[in-house]
Parts: sequence; C-alpha cells; structure tokens
Amino acid sequence: MSSRFGDQLIAVLPRLRRFARGLSGSITDADDLVQAACERALARQHQFQEGTRFDSWMFRIVQTIWIDQVRSRDVRKEDGDIAEDRLGSDEPVRRVEARLALDEVRRALDRLPSDQRAALLLVTVEGLSYKEAAEVVQVPVGTIMSRLARARIALQLQLEAGRGGRRSTRDAAAAQ
Amino acid sequence: MQQQRSDDRLVAYLDGELEVAQRREVEAWLDTDPAARQRMAGLAESAHLLRMAFDEAVHEPVPDRLIAAARGEAVPLQAGGAILPFRRRLRAQIGASRRWRVGLPIAASLLGLFVGSGIAYLGVGRLAPDGVAGKPAALEAAAANNLWLDNAAGYFKLVVSAGDSPPVDIPATGDPREALQKISQSLPQEVRLPDLKPWGLSFHGARLVVEEGRPAAALVYTTDNKAIGPLGLIIGSSKQPDISPTFDRRQDVNLLYWRHQGRAYALVGQADIGYLWGIANDVAWQLDAV
Repeated sequence: MSSRFGDQLIAVLPRLRRFARGLSGSITDADDLVQAACERALARQHQFQEGTRFDSWMFRIVQTIWIDQVRSRDVRKEDGDIAEDRLGSDEPVRRVEARLALDEVRRALDRLPSDQRAALLLVTVEGLSYKEAAEVVQVPVGTIMSRLARARIALQLQLEAGRGGRRSTRDAAAAQ
Repeated sequence: MQQQRSDDRLVAYLDGELEVAQRREVEAWLDTDPAARQRMAGLAESAHLLRMAFDEAVHEPVPDRLIAAARGEAVPLQAGGAILPFRRRLRAQIGASRRWRVGLPIAASLLGLFVGSGIAYLGVGRLAPDGVAGKPAALEAAAANNLWLDNAAGYFKLVVSAGDSPPVDIPATGDPREALQKISQSLPQEVRLPDLKPWGLSFHGARLVVEEGRPAAALVYTTDNKAIGPLGLIIGSSKQPDISPTFDRRQDVNLLYWRHQGRAYALVGQADIGYLWGIANDVAWQLDAV
C-alpha cells in the first residue's frame, strides 16, 4: 500500500463515518461499514484513478457495500431502535430542545427510502455537486435531482409534523 | 407532475445547480409567489438542520480500529472499538510513522509565533501579553500559545472574509518559488513551499508575519473544495521546546500545530481534523526531503 493512499484514506475517515452513519442510522453499523470500505479500497486501490476525487470514490464504495448489506439482510432499524447508539454524543451541555430537534431530523432521514437518503447525504451534508453525487450512486443527474427534491420535501413535511406534535404535547402539559 | 417539477427547480436553486437563466427564472417566480418563497424557506431550514444533525460526526475522534483498517492492518469487525482523543491518537501515529519521526527537517516553536501583520488589523496591539515576564515558565508559555493561536485563527478569518482574493504580501504570480524567495529574504531561514496539489490546494501567496519581533511566513493556499480550503500554513522559528502535533480550535477555526528543533508550524483552516492531519503529515514529509 502506498503511504499516500493510506494518508488519503485516513483523512477522509471522518466524512465516511458521517456518510455511513446517515445511511445506516447507527454508529456501530456505520463504523463496521467504514471498516469494510477501507478494506475493499485497499484491495482495489489500483482501480482508483489519480486526478479524480478520492472522497467520491470512497463514498461510492461505502454506498455499494451498504446496498449489498441491505439486499442481504434487513439492516434497517425501527424508529424507536435508532436513537441510542446513533447519537453517541457525550455533550452534557447541549440543550435538550436542540438535541430533540436534531434527533428528529435523524429519525426523519431514516424514514426516507435509502436511495433518497444517499442523495440527500451526498449533496446536502457532504457538499457534492449533482454530477458528483450521480457518479457515486451511478445514476443519471436527473435521477439525483428528482430523488433530492422528493427527499427534501418529505424531510420538511416530517419535521413540520414533528414540530406540530411537540407543540401539542407542550400545550397539553401547559394546560394541566 | 407540475408540483414535482417546481420542487425540483426550487431544490436545485437552493443547491446552486441552476444555470444563470434558470436561476433568474426561479428568482422572478419567487418574487411573485409568496407560497413558493415559504416553501423554499422551509427547504433551506430543513437542509440546515440536516447538516447540523450530522455535523458532530466529523468532529468525533476516529476509532483506532478504523485507523488500523485504513493502514491495512488486520482488524476484526467489532462494535464499539476504543475511541481515543485525537491528540493521543496523533501522537501514537507519529511514533509509528516514519514520516513524522524523521519528517520535520526544520524546527520551531509556535509558542512565540505571532501573526504580526494581521495583529494591528485585528486590534491586538501587542505581541506579548502584559505581565507575562513575571509568571512561571509554564504559564508564560501557555499565555503565549493562547495569544498565538488566537491570532492565527484571526488571521485566517481575514483570509476567509476576503473571499477569492485573500490578502497576501507576495502573490504567487507566475513562479511560486519566486514568491518564496522574496519572503525568504526577510526570514532568518529559508522557507520551502510544500506542494499540496494532491489535496487540490494551490499556493496563492505568502505573507510576512512576526514572531516575537522576528519575521515568519504565512503561506496561503486556496481550493475550490469547500471541505478543505482555504488553508494557511505558518512557518516560523522559536526557542521553545519541541511539541508533537496538537489540535486546537479557536473562533470556529481549526489549528494543527507542532514545533521541532527550532522551527514551528501551524496549519490553520476550516477543514476538519482528518484533513488537517493528512495535510500536516504531507507537509512534514515534504519539508524533510531537503
């Protein structure tokens, strides 16, 4: 293994973990996914084309392994099963309201179909262009565009519904 | 179908994916349609929340098992591998890596490396805090370190706020080596230019800064990759003892700094730790290859 390849791989690990966490909805599953992606990347490093984006290449490997796993077993978790290890945050100072809101975003993301979830993570979170995201998931740019639009609308609707629910709960508590 | 097309356009507009003419069309539409404006505001907010929801993942320490996997060392798949703080992991890495072990050819101390030319602009009028001389050495070093890190972060924010034209004293027009030669004339030691093109970073220019009254160099790199750049590399000299690469964060800016045998280095930017680590490793390796 060339040391530069290893260095590039280490440098991109935090973003791979974030992407994998968004796909899998779990810290431990995500890290297993990233580990498997590292192993595959090392085995196939000769396939990486110099001058192309290394991060995109790695995202594609993560995405491919994830799809394989989804096909071979049902790794999607039920909503109530997600929050515990997915957050993994030890920030005691974070405000409860803010944490709840972000938990809700993660849950909303997890309810989306996996192809929409991947598009959303690649473009909105990782900052890839539509063209780059299309190359990662190997679909036409137009497909990415429509997946993104559907995902963004669905996410927004779910968040609005969640806010409505929280308001109702709070109002009910205040009325007691 | 019509609704789907509208949503596609709004989302693509938010993502900056439309051509100029299409963008103007959407803007004209938004000007006249309050419902569309509201929908777009909701979309923008949910995108912002999504980024926030996953932001913490890139600032967490990477588990050792993943570092090992990336290095090609055999590790079993195991949930909940040990997570070490970045600093400790980095030191362990340095111990194991030839690059870091022999990589730093020149040495330095960042404790005394103060960003001089940016100081007046930033409103920091002095290069050392009042009353430092009477304090114990450790406190003095810590105070100097704090001041330096704050100034380095402040200087970097100037670079960012300048957009496409970060302020430099010596621009890298034509041959970048020429810029380095010019700035080296003002420095006690020659400064060499690490090639960071593999990271997509281009040398933009150099700026002369001051370390305890002595000149130092701030090299500015730019890139189209928003995940990495722009990036500052500050190289100076100091009499402070060597320190291993250490991560810090000031004013929303990440810093990775170290010093070795009389010379000090700091990478300053908004790139996440993983990138800074990789780039710092590359810098150290290149500057060792004298």
